Amino acid sequence: MAYHSPYRAPPHINAPPDQGFLWNIFQRVDKDRSGVISDTELQQALSNGTWTPFNPVTVRSIISMFDRENKGGVNFNEFAGVWKYITDWQNIFRNYDRDNSGFIDKQELKQALTGFGYRLSDQFYGTLIEKFDRQRKGQVAFDDFIQCCIVLQRLTDVFRRYDTDQDGWIQVSYEQYLSMVFNIV
Amino acid sequence: MSFNYGQGYPVGVNQPPGAPYGAGRGSYGPPPSAPYGGAGGQPGGPYGGYGVPGHGGQYGPGPGGAPGGPYGAYGGQPYGGPNANYGPAGNIPPGVNPEAYQWFQTVDTDRSGFINLKELKQALVNSNWSSFNDETCLMMINMFDKTRSGQMDLFGFSALWDFMQRWRAMFQQYDRDRSGCISGMELQQALAQMGYNLSPQFSETLVQRFTMRGARPGIQLDRFIHVCTQLQSMTQVFRERDTSMTGNIRLSYEDFLSGAVTRLM
Repeated sequence: MAYHSPYRAPPHINAPPDQGFLWNIFQRVDKDRSGVISDTELQQALSNGTWTPFNPVTVRSIISMFDRENKGGVNFNEFAGVWKYITDWQNIFRNYDRDNSGFIDKQELKQALTGFGYRLSDQFYGTLIEKFDRQRKGQVAFDDFIQCCIVLQRLTDVFRRYDTDQDGWIQVSYEQYLSMVFNIV
Repeated sequence: MSFNYGQGYPVGVNQPPGAPYGAGRGSYGPPPSAPYGGAGGQPGGPYGGYGVPGHGGQYGPGPGGAPGGPYGAYGGQPYGGPNANYGPAGNIPPGVNPEAYQWFQTVDTDRSGFINLKELKQALVNSNWSSFNDETCLMMINMFDKTRSGQMDLFGFSALWDFMQRWRAMFQQYDRDRSGCISGMELQQALAQMGYNLSPQFSETLVQRFTMRGARPGIQLDRFIHVCTQLQSMTQVFRERDTSMTGNIRLSYEDFLSGAVTRLM
């Protein structure tokens, strides 16, 4: 059915960079030398390849994935994970952005998500583009692409928890539904 | 038998309470019509009963009581209430609240004629002086950005100003201990008064989910606005699917995704 092998995490494409290299980057990104990279610091360091600021919501999503103590940022150890996560996504994105425009269109998005195991209708891909295309180009940039994948994955995970018989349908009450979409289950 | 979402579920009311924002209908989400003058005791109707015709009388057409509609609703109609005596001063376009107009000039730091995320974030603070979080600011920009350019013009900003005033009043009303943040129990009371039929655990979990790190459990104004607006929007999504009003729906994977993707955030 719809979501048999949904995408979970970027495949491990890169060999881990050495610690000295990462430490160098970490220090440059950690502008206030606090030992923790904040949302703003990470956002300033990231580029979506289109000269517009990196999507702050994507930055928040990524930081919260690696920030173990809920301190609002990542320390050096956690930063290694962030770095790898972003470079892995970058490689995936480049794969689908064949003309190197910095954007992927609906067809490319469909190819990418189908590659991750999603089976979704054409209409829904239109919805995704409409929702995640922050720059209103009818295509999605790198940062928005990541956010799109994160959201889809979260929603799929929560749907799965309810879809115990795995038939692609769930029966939920009002409060259950709200808990699902607020991701508080 | 029909499921009771909340008091006064408007069976037979044609218009849904509060059109969803960002759904391409050109409508800004409904303003949080606080029970103005109702001293907080008034149940707000179903899901908050925002902007439901028929509830209008309850709130009266006073300042802030009118259901928020698209921009058009503001134009041509003098802003009611105490602000009306400002008159159409200077070059304030009709339909723009004079206070919002002044505030716009301050917030639009780059003088572009538009308010972007960064400018909005700098302008809005919680009661502990922390700036509004990105999610709430983005949500509000999406709601009031008619051009879908990622920023708001003066008209959108004026509508946002109105929206903010109402939420602020509402927040202060429900922050009973004046702590500057809403606890789980306060949220539960707020949601019940807005007409939501939700368990105390639900509010508690929401608050836990959105409590700032290192702070005592509670949500600030930005999160309160975010949560209540999303709740309204997602309730609408549920209702559209719960045609027989049993309080239970059967939902396919893609329908679930699409409801959440289009209406959340």
